[in-house]
Amino acid sequence: MTEERFVAPKNLKYFTYALITIGVISFAIGFFTDPQRTWANYLLNNFYFVSLAIGAAFFISIQYIAQAGWSAAFKRIPEAMAAYIPFAAVFFLILLIGVHSLYEWSHQETLATDRLIQHKAPFLNTPFLAVRLVIFFSLWILLTKLMRQTSLKEDIEGGLAHFHRSEKLSKIFIFIVAVSFSVFAIDMLMSLEVHWFSTLFAAKTFISAFLHGSAIITLIVILLHRNGHLNMLNRSHLHDFTRYMFMLAIVWGYFTFAQFMLIWYGNIPEETAFYVHRWHSPYQFLFYASIVLNWLIPFLLLMPRKTSRSKLAMIPVIVLLMIGYYIELYYEIWPATVHDAKFGLLEIGTFLGYAGLFSLVVINYLGKANLVPVKHPYLEESMQHHF
Amino acid sequence: MTGVFDNEFDLVKAFEKVKASGVQIEEVYTPYPIHEILEGMGKKTRITHAAFFYGLFGALAVLGGMYYAAVISWPLNFGGKPFNTFPSFLVVTIVATILIITLATLFTFSARAQIFPGKAAKIADPRATDNKFVIVINSETPEFEATSLEKLLKENGASEVY
Repeated sequence: MTEERFVAPKNLKYFTYALITIGVISFAIGFFTDPQRTWANYLLNNFYFVSLAIGAAFFISIQYIAQAGWSAAFKRIPEAMAAYIPFAAVFFLILLIGVHSLYEWSHQETLATDRLIQHKAPFLNTPFLAVRLVIFFSLWILLTKLMRQTSLKEDIEGGLAHFHRSEKLSKIFIFIVAVSFSVFAIDMLMSLEVHWFSTLFAAKTFISAFLHGSAIITLIVILLHRNGHLNMLNRSHLHDFTRYMFMLAIVWGYFTFAQFMLIWYGNIPEETAFYVHRWHSPYQFLFYASIVLNWLIPFLLLMPRKTSRSKLAMIPVIVLLMIGYYIELYYEIWPATVHDAKFGLLEIGTFLGYAGLFSLVVINYLGKANLVPVKHPYLEESMQHHF
Repeated sequence: MTGVFDNEFDLVKAFEKVKASGVQIEEVYTPYPIHEILEGMGKKTRITHAAFFYGLFGALAVLGGMYYAAVISWPLNFGGKPFNTFPSFLVVTIVATILIITLATLFTFSARAQIFPGKAAKIADPRATDNKFVIVINSETPEFEATSLEKLLKENGASEVY
């Protein structure tokens, strides 16, 4: 296998710079005109893109633990996506400034009168939140960096030792991410509705991250292939990528439905409050839209063998999944913070800004190493993959 | 005519040659699935489509049945819920649909393949159930010619031809 380098086209880089500029301008205008809504945007976009990065890192770990051969040639793409985590860390620490605009539990006056918030205060308070964020992000950054280093070393030295080390790191990573990302989802999203709780919420959010992370990995692989890289990509690889999306869309649907059904059937006021607040016109529509985009469309469109291995069918599904994730987070964040379903240039501009930054990070990190891990022990199997 | 092979590679080689000579291959028995044979036999299955429609039919039938029982035939008030408690119907629907698909597909497959419990097995070569790769060739096709075919199989590594 010859070495293959990804050199980002100049235009693409300028394009991401332009997107970032749009994002910065949107935030600047937003913080002056409507700070609360801007903070909600800030939280949504941060969570959106850190989920993709965590989902990608989890994807690599799963490949190592299962000793999957087919994906070896593509592992640089999730690696590049995981490189976004340090940037997200900075953003989430900045979010601590805006805690008062987002989280009801951080208001001193409600804390003084609300018994339930007082009960939750030992966990839900700003200093402890900061400590948790620092711990989570340092663990994620440390492990993803170690995995990346091992992978780069393997490129030079070869041998099996690096593979075994990666596998060991992956095993540690999935345990850490299972606990930390769950608490992270509870902190960042569930505590927006401080009186509400759902034991399935963290698991659902994690599956969402994995689903949409896998979708973005697939999208980047297809785009690279279009531009003349990764020539070994064949229909069997595409089918395997589709399997991830298809399987995770079903699990997503299962978790979302399980959470809704139990709350709906149990009909306990403190649990139903979440859905009651979201059972009027725009949000009710978004509830169904999220299910259609994240579950129904991938489920139906990716089921036949023909579409599950065709880029023509996969790209629209991935784009719809991206919109679906935005809707899912919007549905959770907006009723708790902005209340009215406002959507305008601010939302579009900030999302474009983050998309630009995320793309820039991925492009840069793809360019920093061989696009194909040339001495990965499973590389040959991955190149010949066929079923 | 039956050819017995010791390994996958010889079998695939002979398989391609026999196919190229125009003789019809009746069936190939291997200890594990081999891609080249699966594709080379050119047999398409429509059982997945059947399964999909069984599932569609099953889901609608189960939902319809529960709707009839809970709303039309015998409405009962449970804790002020609407009679049509659609979300709770879904759980039963998923499980029942899986059962319907499984059983209906199994029966369809058995009927099409003419398999039923207690049927005497038709085994081309007893070693095909062990570690040998067996190719069975239809001797009724016009291109069939025993001596040349036997030679062809032997040349490509068949350990036995009969």
